[in-house]
Amino acid sequence: MEESKGKIGLKEFIVLTIIMIGTKVADDTPAILFESLHNAGWMAPLINGIIAIIPIYLLIKVVTSYDRKGLIHVTNDLFGKFFGFSIVFILWVFLFSALIIDTAIYADIITSVYYIKTPTIIIYGVLMLVCAYGAKRGLEQIGSVAYLTYPYLQLTFFIALLLTITQGNVHFLFPLFGPGGWEVLKESALKLSIYGDLLYLFILIPYISSTKNFKKGTWIAFIIIVLNLTIAMASYVFFFDYNSVMELNYPYHEVIRTITGGFLTNLETFFFPFWIIASIVRFAIYLYLTAILFGHLFKIKHFEYVIPTLATLIVFIGVIPESTSSTIFQLRQGLLSISTPVFFFLPCLMWLVAKLKGVTKK
Amino acid sequence: MIKLISIVKFISLFVLLLILGGCWDQKETEEQAYVIAIGLDKAEESENLVKVTYLISNPEAGTAAVGGGSSSEPPREIISFEAEDFVTSRNLANTVIAKQITYDILQIIVVSEDFARDDDFVRWIYDATKSMEIRRDSKLLITKEDTLTFLEINQPKLETRPHEYFKMLFARGKETAMLPVSDLNTFFRITEADADLFLGIYGTTEKSEKQHGKEPDQVIAGEFHYEGETNPTEFAGAAVFKEGKMIDVITIEDTRLAFLLNPTMNGVDILASFPDPFDENYHISTRVNKISDIKIKMDLKKEQPEINVTLPVSIDLLSNHSMTEYQLNEQNKEKLKKSFEDTLEKLFKDFVKKTQEEYKTEPFGWSLIARKKFLTIPEWEDFDWMKTYPDMKVNITVNVELGSFGRQGGLPSLEEVRD
Repeated sequence: MEESKGKIGLKEFIVLTIIMIGTKVADDTPAILFESLHNAGWMAPLINGIIAIIPIYLLIKVVTSYDRKGLIHVTNDLFGKFFGFSIVFILWVFLFSALIIDTAIYADIITSVYYIKTPTIIIYGVLMLVCAYGAKRGLEQIGSVAYLTYPYLQLTFFIALLLTITQGNVHFLFPLFGPGGWEVLKESALKLSIYGDLLYLFILIPYISSTKNFKKGTWIAFIIIVLNLTIAMASYVFFFDYNSVMELNYPYHEVIRTITGGFLTNLETFFFPFWIIASIVRFAIYLYLTAILFGHLFKIKHFEYVIPTLATLIVFIGVIPESTSSTIFQLRQGLLSISTPVFFFLPCLMWLVAKLKGVTKK
Repeated sequence: MIKLISIVKFISLFVLLLILGGCWDQKETEEQAYVIAIGLDKAEESENLVKVTYLISNPEAGTAAVGGGSSSEPPREIISFEAEDFVTSRNLANTVIAKQITYDILQIIVVSEDFARDDDFVRWIYDATKSMEIRRDSKLLITKEDTLTFLEINQPKLETRPHEYFKMLFARGKETAMLPVSDLNTFFRITEADADLFLGIYGTTEKSEKQHGKEPDQVIAGEFHYEGETNPTEFAGAAVFKEGKMIDVITIEDTRLAFLLNPTMNGVDILASFPDPFDENYHISTRVNKISDIKIKMDLKKEQPEINVTLPVSIDLLSNHSMTEYQLNEQNKEKLKKSFEDTLEKLFKDFVKKTQEEYKTEPFGWSLIARKKFLTIPEWEDFDWMKTYPDMKVNITVNVELGSFGRQGGLPSLEEVRD
């Protein structure tokens, strides 16, 4: 890795994390959660938030006992060369498939909701072009863009939420426990990997100004993300009631098309640009992370140069599935379920090994 | 070299401008035909077809910008034909209309009563959720006659631009509680929740001779008689939908009652008349307002589930034809209050009875309150609101608070005037 690269500070790191994970509320993640949890879908981010404290806490403990070394170095150190390589490889596969699936979904949202006549591949291409450009510029620049745009993103998101909640109905939250208390707990825990991206943030440690900042930043961002997701999910239920919300592919986009602000109608034209900026920042980080992992796996020193190639590859794989929204929806659901145990047990395992090796004591 | 790079960058900025046009989705406002209302009727011959009617608004009509001869164009255009659904019908319309049909500012879906009462109506209306341009806040309007006749005859005199006309009409109707809030989102929600009744706006251009009830408020659209030079269209009362199918029409009075009993709706300017307790020849006109939220207590665990509703309203007197003294006479006030309460309670009781016996479920959104009593969805679905509601015991208590007695409180005593 190039240590000489510019580093990002606490603020940039926080907003980067929030945009990276918080944006999920505006794609089909809510649909996945509502599908099994009905009107209790809003509890999932909260329950998962509580569960996710364990792996994050353990991982922070392990990784910070090394001096400013990222997740890649730590895995290699803990598990040896072969297992370290395998784990990083698995992580890369997850990240890369998540990136393909997510970008395909975003391209689908844009084509099916906003630009109906434009061919998907054009939209997809433009989207990835911009993301690749952003990723190529490096983490520092992505961080700055994230920091610059975050206030506007959060503000518009709040306006959307406020309008949704005022035009909704609190009664729709009941019966409170949806399909049943135990069911809610189980089904949410299975979707724990909605926070799985946090794992990848640990790769970035060498690029962050200090370990203390990283620790602090992770927790602050995490709390904001959980709040954002929970409130947004609850407001979708407020607005649609559980039967309808389960049928929707992209609740956020359905919401911003339906809410009106006084005499202002067709509000989606206002919210859409902000959403697209958030998405671009999000995928730029994803691409960057994929490139770091890829660079490490295949010993490429200037990993930035593989970003355009990866982006091109993503577009061509992403357009393969037919009827994107439903195929990808299932793929995504599958990916979420598979990556959940990894997200939970890998940190536990690492902590255990670190404990046995006596790393954490140092 | 650096200069060259910056020139290249500068040029590529302009290339980016091309994307801003919206690629293939670029639209010229001038080249669009804006559909304000879609009418849906049963096709005459085939069951697999639907008759689609478009009301296309001319955005130029009535604007201050005169010039280029645009002001002479009529404010609207109507076209009606049979198609497979109202999504693909857009291109068919282009055989007649030169511009591209767009649903971007679609406001209303008009459905004829005949079609709404059809079992298959639900299949067609759900097309609206497929087409991305149709918004979930579009209104649903049910007409007595077929939609083409309705849209043709409906020619507002003073507000000729159809998009403005409908917007104002619905907003006012909601305020006066004469028209239900009838949007697609609510329709889908209630149909899917399978518990309550949905109330849709009912309108017509046909006049009918007979009337539902004797009182002036007991009318539905078409029964309100008026003279003068205006638009023959009437919007009054509500179409009742159960499980996505229209089953009945209720009068203005009942619509108001439904408004008052619904915890989620708020009429602000409800004018109503009550029999005068001091002289049965006269009526007292009033303005009724919900003071605070309606209180609904439910006991659903009992053998016969019970619902207790307390409705606090304030009533302002707007007329006093029996010329009774209220201002200083506490006894008269009490009597008046009691009479209002009794009248309202009786009206509510009759209406609730009708919903229980005739419709088997209610349009008040009470099932939402009932849901709070259950912890999980399976429990709630087992309870089966539609099955249990008809046998429930419903008690309605009205608490009337007398508001103002008009700008001038007292009236001269009639006896003294005639003396």
